[in-house]
Amino acid sequence: MLKIIIPTIMLFPVIWYSNNTMIWINMTSYSLMINLMTLPLLNQAGNNSNNFSLTFFSDSLSSPLLMLTVWLLPLMIMASQHHLMKESLTRKKLYLSMLISLQMFLIMTFSATELILFYILFEATLIPTLIIITRWGNQTERLNAGLYFLFYTLIGSLPLLVALIYVQISLGSLNYLVMNFWFQDTSSPWSSNLLWLACIMAFMVKMPLYGLHLWLPKAHVEAPIAGSMVLAAVLLKLGGYGMLRLTIILNPMTKIMAYPFIMLCLWGMIMTSSICLRQTDLKSLIAYSSVSHMALVIVAILMQTPWSFMGATALMIAHGLTSSMLFCLANSNYERIHSRTMLLARGLQAFLPLMATWWLLASLTNLALPPFINLIGELFVIMASFSWSNITIAMTGLNMLITALYSLYMLTMTQRGKFTYHIHNIKPSYTRENTLMSMHMLPLIMLTFNPKIIMGLTY
Amino acid sequence: MKLPILTIIMTTIFTGTMLTMISSHWLLIWIGLEINMLSIIPILTKNQKPRSTEAATKYFLTQATASMLLMFTIVFNAMHSGQWTTTNIDPNNMIVSLTMIIALTMKLGMTPFHFWVPEVTQGVSLMTGMLLLTWQKLAPISIMMQMFTSINPIILLLIALMSVLVGGWGGLNQTQLRKILAYSSIAHMGWMMAILTFCPSLTMLNLLIYLMLTIIMFTMLNMNTNMTTLTLSNLWNKSPTITMMILISLLSLGGLPPLTGFLPKWIIIQELTKNNNIAMATVMAIMALLNLYFYMRLIYSTSLTLFPTPNNIKMKWQFQPKKRSLFLSPLIILSTLTLPLSPVLSTLN
Repeated sequence: MLKIIIPTIMLFPVIWYSNNTMIWINMTSYSLMINLMTLPLLNQAGNNSNNFSLTFFSDSLSSPLLMLTVWLLPLMIMASQHHLMKESLTRKKLYLSMLISLQMFLIMTFSATELILFYILFEATLIPTLIIITRWGNQTERLNAGLYFLFYTLIGSLPLLVALIYVQISLGSLNYLVMNFWFQDTSSPWSSNLLWLACIMAFMVKMPLYGLHLWLPKAHVEAPIAGSMVLAAVLLKLGGYGMLRLTIILNPMTKIMAYPFIMLCLWGMIMTSSICLRQTDLKSLIAYSSVSHMALVIVAILMQTPWSFMGATALMIAHGLTSSMLFCLANSNYERIHSRTMLLARGLQAFLPLMATWWLLASLTNLALPPFINLIGELFVIMASFSWSNITIAMTGLNMLITALYSLYMLTMTQRGKFTYHIHNIKPSYTRENTLMSMHMLPLIMLTFNPKIIMGLTY
Repeated sequence: MKLPILTIIMTTIFTGTMLTMISSHWLLIWIGLEINMLSIIPILTKNQKPRSTEAATKYFLTQATASMLLMFTIVFNAMHSGQWTTTNIDPNNMIVSLTMIIALTMKLGMTPFHFWVPEVTQGVSLMTGMLLLTWQKLAPISIMMQMFTSINPIILLLIALMSVLVGGWGGLNQTQLRKILAYSSIAHMGWMMAILTFCPSLTMLNLLIYLMLTIIMFTMLNMNTNMTTLTLSNLWNKSPTITMMILISLLSLGGLPPLTGFLPKWIIIQELTKNNNIAMATVMAIMALLNLYFYMRLIYSTSLTLFPTPNNIKMKWQFQPKKRSLFLSPLIILSTLTLPLSPVLSTLN
């Protein structure tokens, strides 16, 4: 694993010592090379994990998420080039340093064996993200957004720290590889319920669960493009990854304790999808759609069946790529008209036809069109929840319908119809932007041919 | 103040604390505390302002009361147990253990005797405030670490919990930086004392890291003589590096991983959980977030936003910095980046 981590750390000197004109080129090419080195990780044994050392390992759950993380770094760098053009050199380098440090923490989080190390790095990802949102965001609301983001996550995760330490003391070790075989059920029902809550709430806030999701629209909307991309694609998945790892120690309380959360998720799915239909702000629409997709993931993880775990993992990867792509598309709009209001830039297909193709593909994957992996994820989750309880099909089916509705609403609002008159002089699409979109789309399309690499632990 | 006089006074302060820290006879400990207190009074009034005089008076009154309580406890203990060593206080003697804790927590500035800390820290200059919040804590904590086996843990835990709460909530309404650091000291004292009866070496660890961070904060604030949040927001113009260092130090003081400030909190939570104090650990951890909130406010005004200034501020005449800051860089590195070195702690006793 060090062969990925050390090159990522070495990207710091690459930024600071590169020639001024070569920063972007160096960064993008070296992060793409790190991608190449991470690819062999996807070759996973079926029911076992690749243990690189006592501290780092990768198994079929963490390797697709790792791959997603390293894949996103060059995309984030490409997407940030435009809005950092006018900044001074030191500020550009600082921004890229924040991205690199975030990347380093994320790689280590997804490959940690010891759960306390996972916790420390999970919290460590907050600091660079906070700095990116508050320092480089664009509106006044970014201050509030940063505070909400930081404090929601911290209040949820401090009980997790106490719970992990308690489990370590009572079990002897928190090394994930060991815990797989060692675990004994906890004794008293009242305190084990509290333990379950303490472990889960951190990840529920991160996912986010419907009642605790207030930080997400703020943070996603106010962040600059790289911040939005990494938030939507990877940081949300940290919650899902953490929950999937902790399900081992959380049995058998999950059977009873999961009910309120499953109900909140099912209801919240429909609520947030409906809110998307009434949004005027484009980024806010994509943010709420993230909440809706993640609610499906939470339902899947809490139901604990093999199919639902497969669906959860596939949905996480698929949503990561789709959501990040949608944010990039929204950003390409924002850079031209400097407003996130959908009403202001309509009929873009007449001006930017290739970008309209990417909009179409992104919207289609967002609404889980076959044969993309979004559909595989959602279908597995819906089938698992149907077998868990027949009634859930009403809500999940309704959610799929409303998702289709708002995705098409977003598409037709921005692309089709008569164009607005004031967007005559927008610049045509840069090659950089088209590359960005295609690099999001190509993995999505190619994974359709071999989805088993993203199906996770129970394939 | 003339240099020879300053040297003598500083040496006396040093001698007082050292005398307390090396003695095992209660009388010498008390003498050391008195020497310390008396010799810091001229330092507090160095400024010659009425506010400093008021601060010095408040400090003197509280510390003298605490010393008298301590003397009472010492004599009472000598009367009932017949000996004067620190390590042999009878824990079953309720008066002795109670008044001992009251005296020492009054010296340290913990709730419910914390009212003097913000006002005294505000009334004196930045460097004197640093002396107050760092050096003055050493003597009482060394006493408490010598007698930790005889302290009533329930009372101490109650005081510690209240200190964390007051330190968190009290700092929320402050804009004066010295008061913010005073409330931060109250909260950190709470964390330190919570673990004293279980594992005093963690008190020492927390003290060390807290001392480093407080020295850094005061030194950085002293560079531009920033005393309010408003003046702090102009720091980006004078020295942007200090802005970044304030960001990192405040995040470490707030206890965010992966900075070193997280280490004491983590290990204290671990020790409390091992001793079945899970509720206390959770409450203290969550209340520390209040502290983080007002640090975040400071961070916002210094490094993460640009305070609107008229354009001629940006072109202010920049003088060479005259205030020397010894050891600032190594201290910053030690107090923010050494979390990966935490396994070193297993080699300590």
